[in-house]
Amino acid sequence: MTQAAPVLDCSACDEAIDCCEFCDRPDCPTAICYRCLSVALRQATPELHDHGG
Amino acid sequence: MGFTQVYDYVAGKLDWLAAGGPIEGSSAGAPRAGGVARDDVPTCGLDERLGEVQGRVRAAGWDACVVVNQERVVLGLLRAKELEGDPASRIEAAMRPGPSTFRPHVPIAEMAHHMVDHDVENAPITTSDGRLVGLLLRTDALRVAHQSHEAEGEST
Repeated sequence: MTQAAPVLDCSACDEAIDCCEFCDRPDCPTAICYRCLSVALRQATPELHDHGG
Repeated sequence: MGFTQVYDYVAGKLDWLAAGGPIEGSSAGAPRAGGVARDDVPTCGLDERLGEVQGRVRAAGWDACVVVNQERVVLGLLRAKELEGDPASRIEAAMRPGPSTFRPHVPIAEMAHHMVDHDVENAPITTSDGRLVGLLLRTDALRVAHQSHEAEGEST
């Protein structure tokens, strides 16, 4: 059995996702992924660049 | 510096904020999701029947109910649509499992913005270990965000 492919892209970073992390809808027009939502809501801080600057 | 008791909060500053710990600084007084969320939201357990919960929720004047375990960890959510289900069904089958939850320190203006953008009527606010703080209603979030914005305008 194969898994259904994600049908949404995060509106902030274009990452493919199954459903919107904010509203849980699989057809959300402003879908957002967990990582971008966490940063947007200040639940997490953005990752530093590899070079640290 | 005269401190006699010093602790290292290993989980970090964001976890401290998410747990609702006291904060200071210029934005400490800004309204946040945890302070606006309603802690009197009806709750129920997985093993109850929807019919019993429907009655209790409506009698309390609500159209939502948070499904929690004995430690008040959020397991699911019954919004208006789920509450209209078959009264004989178990909550476990009727609920929206694993809903997105948000931390108490999230600024209310940002929650209001996202709730409007995503057409979400209410959102569970939990600590970082999943315990229910309350249910944030969109109407409350918008009202408080508006008041806060007005107050900021007056003070500048």
